Amino acid sequence: MSSPVIALESVVKRYGSRTIIHGISFSVAKGEIVGFLGPNGAGKTTTMRMIAGATAASSGKVSVAGFDMATQNHQAARHIGYLPEHPPLYDSLQVDAYLRFVAKVKGVPRAGVANELDRVCTACRLESVYHREVYKLSKGFRQRLGLAQALLGSPQVLLLDEPTSGLDPGQIQETREVIRAFGEQHAVLLSTHILPEVTMICQRVAIINNGRLLAVDSPQGLQRASEQTSSVLLHVRAPEQHLRAELLAIAGVVGVSVQAFADAAARSGPYSDADAATHSGPRSDARDAANSAPATTDEWASLIVECQVDERDGVEAAIARAVATRWQLLKLERRQPTLENVFLRYVSAAPATEELAA
Amino acid sequence: MTGVGGMTGLLAVYQKEMWTYFRSPIAYFVVAVFLLGTGYFFLYNIFLTGSAGMDTTLQNMGILLITLIPVISMRLFSAEYSARTMELLSTLPLTPWQIVLGKFLGAVSILLLMTVCTMVNLIPLVLYGNPELLTILSGYIGFVLLGMACLAIGQFFSALTQNQIVAALVTVAVLLAFWWVGHAQNFQNSPALRALVGHLSFALHYGDFIRGLVRSEAVTFFLVTCAMALTLNAAWLQWRR
Repeated sequence: MSSPVIALESVVKRYGSRTIIHGISFSVAKGEIVGFLGPNGAGKTTTMRMIAGATAASSGKVSVAGFDMATQNHQAARHIGYLPEHPPLYDSLQVDAYLRFVAKVKGVPRAGVANELDRVCTACRLESVYHREVYKLSKGFRQRLGLAQALLGSPQVLLLDEPTSGLDPGQIQETREVIRAFGEQHAVLLSTHILPEVTMICQRVAIINNGRLLAVDSPQGLQRASEQTSSVLLHVRAPEQHLRAELLAIAGVVGVSVQAFADAAARSGPYSDADAATHSGPRSDARDAANSAPATTDEWASLIVECQVDERDGVEAAIARAVATRWQLLKLERRQPTLENVFLRYVSAAPATEELAA
Repeated sequence: MTGVGGMTGLLAVYQKEMWTYFRSPIAYFVVAVFLLGTGYFFLYNIFLTGSAGMDTTLQNMGILLITLIPVISMRLFSAEYSARTMELLSTLPLTPWQIVLGKFLGAVSILLLMTVCTMVNLIPLVLYGNPELLTILSGYIGFVLLGMACLAIGQFFSALTQNQIVAALVTVAVLLAFWWVGHAQNFQNSPALRALVGHLSFALHYGDFIRGLVRSEAVTFFLVTCAMALTLNAAWLQWRR
């Protein structure tokens, strides 16, 4: 792997007596897209601003493209494209005048400016508003103009603070493509609240909370590391009591929770009225039967079963075999822990340690 | 800050400032109000004194300038803070001095535009009278120098707050203090203090120019005031990082 383009070494940021960032270290290499995750106020924006050179670190070292941001931020600035949380736009200028200004300051050669403007406007779909005043732009266009500004001059490093906020789903898709394409040749650090975005375009994720870095890993690695158990979801027709015993006997199954299909349907409700009408007869029968002879019934019922399983191979197959040989298996689904759970687990664990420390 | 790269950044900021002035009503408004005020004073003074001179008019223009300068200077940095565009300027390859000078030159351009526009008043003077053009020229030099010093001070106060109104009010207060501080001479017995307040007075230095005296002390005073305010401004931008 090539040497890191962005490198942070025990970076601390204090405002007066308040410490916002408590010694963060990580790096981003060329050709890498790193996602920066954390709740509001975690220190994402402050960290981005330090890397961009908008503010200086109180201690520790931030270097970008080989330049120390404490002393050489002016030289480093040529290699940085930065989209802050609020796109920094001049309302009274026209889109092209604004981009021309940024291109000129970034040192794009005069002869190449027109091409460069074309390139970023095409990438960010700004052609239709090229001559419009910035204050007339919608939120989506403002966000994309901010991105276009950051892309100008093909900087080595792209820092994007919530690049897809305010965009509609189609625009989000396009913007992700732009970032992904850019990330193949450059180093990209992007902060976001949208977790699927991270899974989709980032090779690595850094989770931050209360100014501390909690984890840096690939999205898959984080998911694996976060939970030793995952679950298998079954839809079956079987007698509840027997089924439970059978499942618990399988090696690898740690826990079983059973729900009557009717209850589950009523609760989650993704079924149409037509379905409800056709199923109403048998369902109420099943429930009556369950009420009259609760625990020991041998009668078959439609059940939704969630099995907690550990990470051993073949456990789904064993469950499927056990159920299908005696009863009716309608559906079997392996559930991975989502990045959302991973994130919440890290983030909700942190305040406790914080309180202890204080 | 030296070399071609330094100039490019400065010019880009200057150009951006000029676009902003003329794409918003600021420039037109300031110039129009200033011409209206100057025109009134000019007519009043001409018909009152009956002499083909600009001295009283230039004196009045000085006071008018002090109240209008904050309208130009208040937005220079405050607006960048509140629109969050300062984030862009501070992360682009621009030094604090390039930003400060680019903005200052932009504001001085508006000042020069205002000044040149008031020169219409000279046409009737030359046509129907026999004005002392060198004295008037001296007055105009003083006017521009006074304006530059005021702009530099206003630009510095604009860098301290994101509230344009606060920036304007503080600037007016400080500029009026510098304008009137000369009157404090009348209340001083100590010659040293009398000299000090005399040296600090915008009105006294400006008065020299109006009387036709381009004194190096007065020129230096206004230029040093500019340099000090701009240095503080650049240092503040560096420090707030």
